[in-house]
Amino acid sequence: MATVTAPAARVFLPGILRHRAAAKLALLALAAAVLVPLADARWSSGSWPAALTVDLTQPLGRVSDWIIDNRDSHPLFLYGFGYVSNAVVLSVRAVYLVLLAAGWAGVTAVAGLVAWRVAGVRLGLGAAAAFVACGLLGMWIPTMQTLALMVVAVLVSVAVGAVLGLAAGLSDRMDRVLRPVLDTMQVLPAFAYLLPVVLVFGIGVPAAVLATVVYAAPPMARLTSLGLRGADKEVLEAVESLGATSRQRLLTARIPLARKELLLGLNQTIMMALSMAVIASVIGAGGLGDRVYQALASVDVGAALAAGIPIVLLAVVLDRVTGAAGDGEGDPAGGRTGLSRRAGWAYALATAVAVALVGRFAGRLDWPGSWTLNIAEPVNRAVDWMTDHLYSGVPVIGGTADWAGHFTTWVLDPLRDGLQALPWWSVLLIVAALAWVIGTWRTALTAVLAMAAIGVLGVWRPSLDTLSQVLAAVAVTLVLGFATGVAAARSDRFERLLRPVLDVFQTMPQFVYLIPVVALFGVGRAPAVAAAVVYALPAVVRITTQGLRQVDPAALESARSLGASSGQQIRQVQLPLARPALLLALNQGVVLVLAVVIIGGLVGGGALGYDVVFGLAQGDLATGLVAGAAIVCLGLMLDRVTQPTERRAEKGA
Amino acid sequence: MSTDTRTDMTAHTTIEERPPVFSVDGLWKVFGPKAETVPADPELTSLPPAELRERTGCTAAVRDVSFDVRKGEVFVVMGLSGSGKSTLVRCLTRLIEPTAGTIAIEGEDVRAMDRTRLRELRRHRAAMVFQHFGLLPHRTVVDNVAYGLEIQGVGKSERRDRAQEVVEKVGLEGMEQRRPSELSGGQRQRVGLARALAVDPEVLLFDEPFSALDPLIRRDMQEEVVRLHQEEGRTMVFITHDLSEALKLGDRIALMRDGEVVQLGTPEEIVGSPADDYVREFVRDVPREQVMTVRRAMRPGECAGPGHPGAIEAGAVVADAIQVVSRSHRPACVVEDGRCLGVVDHERLLDVVAGTELRKEAV
Repeated sequence: MATVTAPAARVFLPGILRHRAAAKLALLALAAAVLVPLADARWSSGSWPAALTVDLTQPLGRVSDWIIDNRDSHPLFLYGFGYVSNAVVLSVRAVYLVLLAAGWAGVTAVAGLVAWRVAGVRLGLGAAAAFVACGLLGMWIPTMQTLALMVVAVLVSVAVGAVLGLAAGLSDRMDRVLRPVLDTMQVLPAFAYLLPVVLVFGIGVPAAVLATVVYAAPPMARLTSLGLRGADKEVLEAVESLGATSRQRLLTARIPLARKELLLGLNQTIMMALSMAVIASVIGAGGLGDRVYQALASVDVGAALAAGIPIVLLAVVLDRVTGAAGDGEGDPAGGRTGLSRRAGWAYALATAVAVALVGRFAGRLDWPGSWTLNIAEPVNRAVDWMTDHLYSGVPVIGGTADWAGHFTTWVLDPLRDGLQALPWWSVLLIVAALAWVIGTWRTALTAVLAMAAIGVLGVWRPSLDTLSQVLAAVAVTLVLGFATGVAAARSDRFERLLRPVLDVFQTMPQFVYLIPVVALFGVGRAPAVAAAVVYALPAVVRITTQGLRQVDPAALESARSLGASSGQQIRQVQLPLARPALLLALNQGVVLVLAVVIIGGLVGGGALGYDVVFGLAQGDLATGLVAGAAIVCLGLMLDRVTQPTERRAEKGA
Repeated sequence: MSTDTRTDMTAHTTIEERPPVFSVDGLWKVFGPKAETVPADPELTSLPPAELRERTGCTAAVRDVSFDVRKGEVFVVMGLSGSGKSTLVRCLTRLIEPTAGTIAIEGEDVRAMDRTRLRELRRHRAAMVFQHFGLLPHRTVVDNVAYGLEIQGVGKSERRDRAQEVVEKVGLEGMEQRRPSELSGGQRQRVGLARALAVDPEVLLFDEPFSALDPLIRRDMQEEVVRLHQEEGRTMVFITHDLSEALKLGDRIALMRDGEVVQLGTPEEIVGSPADDYVREFVRDVPREQVMTVRRAMRPGECAGPGHPGAIEAGAVVADAIQVVSRSHRPACVVEDGRCLGVVDHERLLDVVAGTELRKEAV
């Protein structure tokens, strides 16, 4: 629409309107003045006009039915997806059996010893303790199920990601093709990936593993490509000047030089795989996620927590161990003690095997039932107490349920009703204006098209419902996040206190955030928003703090030398100079909030997330798929609207 | 092998009789769209760089450069940044593909080589030392040094032994197992030098190897190169932007500006008879008594008397002669192979220091 005329307009506008944002807005207003009366006359205002929607439910339903009918007979499934499906089931089963055969002692020993070799004694003990804790909570079997699924999914993700990353890193053309796809995949909520795989594979382990792979492979691909491209040019030239073949160059220089990025990619892939493996419980992943899912469905917070704690422990251990592997490169002992390193691994291996064998002959493969600690009951008692005493009627401050109720009545409802009452074209205009002012006309065009696609799909109202939750959550996140970030940037002590908290919060999978909010606020839209805020807050705080701290000290010093007060320093120097970081924080905040608001459909958040869950639960894949597509569009729109131009430039480099 | 009849007035008369290792003739490297049309078009080649860029969008980094590098000499290419010297040295082994002209190594056309042959050239015949060292950070010193041999497929124990020898030669004993990140800048460049030496190449190519180093370390490294050259007599092509480095190391110097060689000659020729105002301006602050030889300062054909009082070698620099003459307070004889070629006195020596000897000769 309006945006297409932008390049021509730039030529003459700066003379008239000096401010670029004002010029963009004026141009948009002009286009709106022409187009809106036309659209209004043609289709009427209010909600998205029915004439402009395309009903995909019927054809999608037919496709889904056809697939269900032919899954056992059509050659495409028999010889194509069937093999994939069988291979996945077999390998997950095999890993699971190996884990069981190793016994709890063997698995714990292997985890502890591997962590010890990779990351030192402390993490080694921590890893072993984490596995023991999983057993103590009575979650040994679900933990092993999740672990088996993770192992297969991570292996496949890393292989797929590395191959794509190699292609993108070595070929410019592949890079141009893959980069926008991977960038977009990175911002989509996990829920959007569930339905397409279910459509093809049905609910079960293969669908869960493949959804996990699709979700977790992009970071590996991106970082592999980044590492290969980021290699020191002169080193590569030196290698070439010595007459290396391109294969030698790849194996002896490019890949080793990209080690840090490769290990970071592995770390991110593992973390995302865990996050998705848990969420995929709604499509039959089993394991820990399933326990949480079942418990949440019956609002059994104690059981959810018992399964949630192992998830968090797994996440923290996996993150720290793989993170330490990435940092270990500068280790001066690495080369010189090559032999003792090997010996260390040999000792570790021998010990692990010995422990496993002892466990086996002692007949204690399964976690002993008498050693479990039932935390569900006490937790539920605590929650009941909370429900009785803290939910409502606490003098002066009210109660958590009251807060949630008030938040819903005073913030979420007006916001949702307001958005839904807006004429459809004005929503498009607002999206265009925001995206264009923050980014470029390209991002604005993508955002408007994505928003329009939501209307065309016929899910305008639920999408605006989701959007209202996202906006409310983002507003709360930004207020809290910027305030905390500014405080952390100004006080070293506060930052030191905050850092470990942020570290843990950033490693936790999205799913587990639902447990405490359900305990505190019950179910509904407010808890979904609360979970989203808690999930997005660490990233926003961290980016804000870093952005403020990286402000040129010379600029700050000169402001101070001119006698600026600390308020003036923040307002006039730090915040303007940290603008790119703040915009990035906004962008990240929006993407993360959306991901959890969607998952909030599981705890009564309603809207698009609920449509997906409903579609899965009822076998009504068409509804779910349309909602999934709308989630994709919403994610795309929100990302583009908040995408500063700097981020594009940075990535292009 | 081609015999070059050009009479280079080199300090060591033997060098000009030696066969050329690299012969470069009419070499062009043009960056930009349709680069290959530029050298072929006489109208375009005559344009100054700014106009060429305006007309075609191309930049000529190397413009019609010709020279021979003779066996055993240190050939210095010197120029300011952007003069095309680094591009030139990369064209020699086609790390950058030249646009036009010929390059021959011992008579063999480098531009006509196929991939295998070119790889052979890079593996065995020409090795390069880089400004920022270009070391592999994940390998130890000895493995970095052995890297070139590993590329060639030399077995592990043999390449370790050979690398060890070279490591000792460049003075890095005891640091074999360190990583590049644990070394100082000078030590890293010693590793870079050792890596190039380890493959025993016919020619060593240096691309501003010492400009990232501190002045004192730089001087150490320059002396290291001088020592290596004296010990092994290996042919070297040395790129630098530092005039004193060029004068110190170079047997001959090619001075580049905007991609062209503005003057090619011995240090003495460059300092003593600059080809144009640019070169003159360039060498203005050079301590001439450290570069000019007595041969140039003497009054030829005279002799201060029997027994040749003072007796200075013709190749000695003027600074040495000043010491002799000022101590004896009388003219000194200049001798070569026992023959007296002429004398130098206060006046001639002062003329050299002041840079006035040329004007007097012209009168």
